[in-house]
Amino acid sequence: MPYLLRRFLLMLVVLWAIASTIFLLFRLMPGDPTAAYIEPTFTPAERLALLHQFGLDRPLWQQYFIFLGNLLHGDFGTSFSYGTSVAALIFGALPNTLVLAFAALVLAYIFGVLAGAGLAWTRGTWIEALAIPVVLATRALPDFWVGMVMLAIFAFGLGWLPGGGAAAAGVFYPDLWARFTSLDFARHLVLPVVTLAVILQGLPLLLMRSNMLEVMHEEFVVMARMKGLSEWSIMLRHAARNALLPLVTSFALGIGAVIGSSVVIETVFSWPGLGRMLVKAVASSDYPLAQGAFLLIATALVVMNFAADLLYGLLDPRVTHAT
Amino acid sequence: MTIPSISRRGFAATAGAALIAPPAARAAATNPIRKLHLLSETQAADPEEFQSAELVAQMWRALGLDVEVHAMPSLQRSSLVWNQRTKWDCTLWRMVARPERSDPDELTYSLFNSATANGGYDFVDYINPAYDRVSQAQREAIDRTKRQKLVREAQAIINEDQPYVFLVYPKKVFAYLNSVWSPSSMVDQDGIGIRNFWTYLKAEPVGATKDMVVNASVSLNSLNPLYIGGEAASWVTELIWDRVIRVDPHGNPKPWAAESVTWVNPTTLDMVLRPNQKWHDGQPVTVEDVIFSFTAPGEGNMAPMYKPFVSNIASVTATGSNTVRFVLKAPDAGFLTASLGKLNLIAKHVWEPRIAALKQKGLNAQQEQPAELIGSGPFRVERFNLQQEIVLAANTAHWSPPKMSRWIMRVIPNAVAALEMLPRGELNFLSDYTGDPKLLVAMAKRDVHVSAHATTSLGFRFVALNERRPPFNDVHFRRALSFAVNRELIAAAAFEGFAVPANSMISPVFPFWHNPSVDKIRQDVPLAKKILAGAGYRVVDGRLHYPPGVKETLNGA
Repeated sequence: MPYLLRRFLLMLVVLWAIASTIFLLFRLMPGDPTAAYIEPTFTPAERLALLHQFGLDRPLWQQYFIFLGNLLHGDFGTSFSYGTSVAALIFGALPNTLVLAFAALVLAYIFGVLAGAGLAWTRGTWIEALAIPVVLATRALPDFWVGMVMLAIFAFGLGWLPGGGAAAAGVFYPDLWARFTSLDFARHLVLPVVTLAVILQGLPLLLMRSNMLEVMHEEFVVMARMKGLSEWSIMLRHAARNALLPLVTSFALGIGAVIGSSVVIETVFSWPGLGRMLVKAVASSDYPLAQGAFLLIATALVVMNFAADLLYGLLDPRVTHAT
Repeated sequence: MTIPSISRRGFAATAGAALIAPPAARAAATNPIRKLHLLSETQAADPEEFQSAELVAQMWRALGLDVEVHAMPSLQRSSLVWNQRTKWDCTLWRMVARPERSDPDELTYSLFNSATANGGYDFVDYINPAYDRVSQAQREAIDRTKRQKLVREAQAIINEDQPYVFLVYPKKVFAYLNSVWSPSSMVDQDGIGIRNFWTYLKAEPVGATKDMVVNASVSLNSLNPLYIGGEAASWVTELIWDRVIRVDPHGNPKPWAAESVTWVNPTTLDMVLRPNQKWHDGQPVTVEDVIFSFTAPGEGNMAPMYKPFVSNIASVTATGSNTVRFVLKAPDAGFLTASLGKLNLIAKHVWEPRIAALKQKGLNAQQEQPAELIGSGPFRVERFNLQQEIVLAANTAHWSPPKMSRWIMRVIPNAVAALEMLPRGELNFLSDYTGDPKLLVAMAKRDVHVSAHATTSLGFRFVALNERRPPFNDVHFRRALSFAVNRELIAAAAFEGFAVPANSMISPVFPFWHNPSVDKIRQDVPLAKKILAGAGYRVVDGRLHYPPGVKETLNGA
């Protein structure tokens, strides 16, 4: 079987396993969605009606096959709490999350690659001695704490940037493009993006540094030096380009992972994205919405993993997929 | 079951036996009370409640009880308390403040009348025929003075029986920028605070900013006149959709979309529709709309959350071009507030076809978010994104138009950020603050442009004691638990002083309905021990035992 097809089928199996696990996990969680409707006028009959409305009065296996069948048709169901299609809710919130996650990832990798290369080049100096503990510390810091500190300094202390949300109060944009290209949106985007980038930059930085340290001893670097090229040119044009390869995989995987890790950042910065929606869905046992959101994040991870595998083969001719 | 009514004085006089018994003499004849489990919200989600639970457990341990606090997320706890009624001992719980709870009926009847015990809100299974009679009678008493006497009597019975250990009436703190809104235009509604319909209607801008920017700590579930989609959603819906009655700042029903409302007899009520009212699409508000608004929620399962509020209506008919007659199945003194003040007036020309379409799809009204939100209230919808922002514009055609231009609700889940956004003007009315109230008050002291306002709530916090499980089925035990609790300490420590001690379901913010005689309860551990000793309970080796001959059985546990 050709590698691509085998890899694709394997990806489908993984997604099916994830979907099934998510389905079961939510139903095993204590608490049921009707508890959110408790009122002094709430009656047992009303609870039964709600269970019927949510389809939770059917046997579990029936719920499971309905869930899988709907998934195959691209139907994620209807949210219990919003009464709106899950797909519409997710795709309504997704652009905000994608912009935040992608901008942060790009920023983190640009900084991480350059700083990682620089640190490898300055190995054994005071710069490295100072920078490495700082980088390790940023990787260890809780993301909500970094976010709060950023808010305290740049929003509430210096007053340079807004304290939350994705737009100023009451401002109207006719479409997504107008919103995403506005100065107002950019001002609201800065702090969450920088916070997420601070949290994310450690991995590419350390990865790049260790790759560079290996590459720096390769013969082509010695040759470049013998040719009399400048240190700057050797570092960026020769060594760094060859050290970049493993970061491609890391970047591709990062795209999937960062969507998941934006959950906390979106709450701290009141950013209206998928992460915040996911938290609310889990807290209110909104199974369809939580399933849909988790499945989307899992799919992004699996697909990007697949893409990374393929990309690696394309970028490095030494890697083959022959069996 | 009849529970004898026993006064505090009676207990003190009759409880002579010593609580601590010699181990050898008593242990063989009595059975220890099992470990009791006190449920609470998690510390992260509700620090006040969690700390209250810890304090209550500590106070109860002084009686020789083994008490353990179990913190769990609210939905998990609600599900356990509601759906597995024999499987929990006691839980922290709360009733939140809502304008319609200014009428005592819901808190008097729905919480404790045995008619609601089986699967309803009497989830502690409190059953007392004497209380049933009084709570039913207050519902039927149209005469206010007679009803006041009955409501106060109901509170006295609850004080005797202690089905709940009431803890505190919390104080709600709201804040606004006085550089944007005139302080004299803020309306402090009894038991609700300054975040209310009247403030939004009357708030007067003092400068160039005419938009009020408020916050909600959670995103909204829905904006729908036939579905109560959470607390924050109700703050919005009451601005978009008008009601026949509005609860005024002192908790009394005030004709609103009606020019007048008159009781003809205890089951018949006539209303005269206020003239020249218009829906936001320009159509006139008619008596047909009023009739539709009170009949549609009762049909089938179209609006299950609103159905209970129209279930007592026998008929609604037009008696003229601007008059409507309501005939009730049974007298209902709370009808003005609980039904006429609760149901949103909806446009027949909008909702009749919509309901028909929903029926065809096999859905009810709460299962679909309406795209077009047309009411007749003082604000109309400019646009909404439930996760992000709701923008309402003043309805200048309304007979009582707001003074602001727009009312904008931003969803800000980060409480600290919401607080700090206020002095910066990103918000100019902090309407939903879930953080430490002391910080807010301190900010108001620091910044002359920030005004903070605390109001004692009509809502309350309490410990619900599950009478399905011994020893909570024993009134002596429940009273002892209540006397062991130091409410002042809970108000001071858990609520940082932003609460007042409670011992009734009717808050003292309504002096007309509140029974002041029940306020005398104070922590008295010696009395609590005497009550237990008088009822036969004994402490053996530091552990409280049941009276001799009483063996613990937990049905269905």
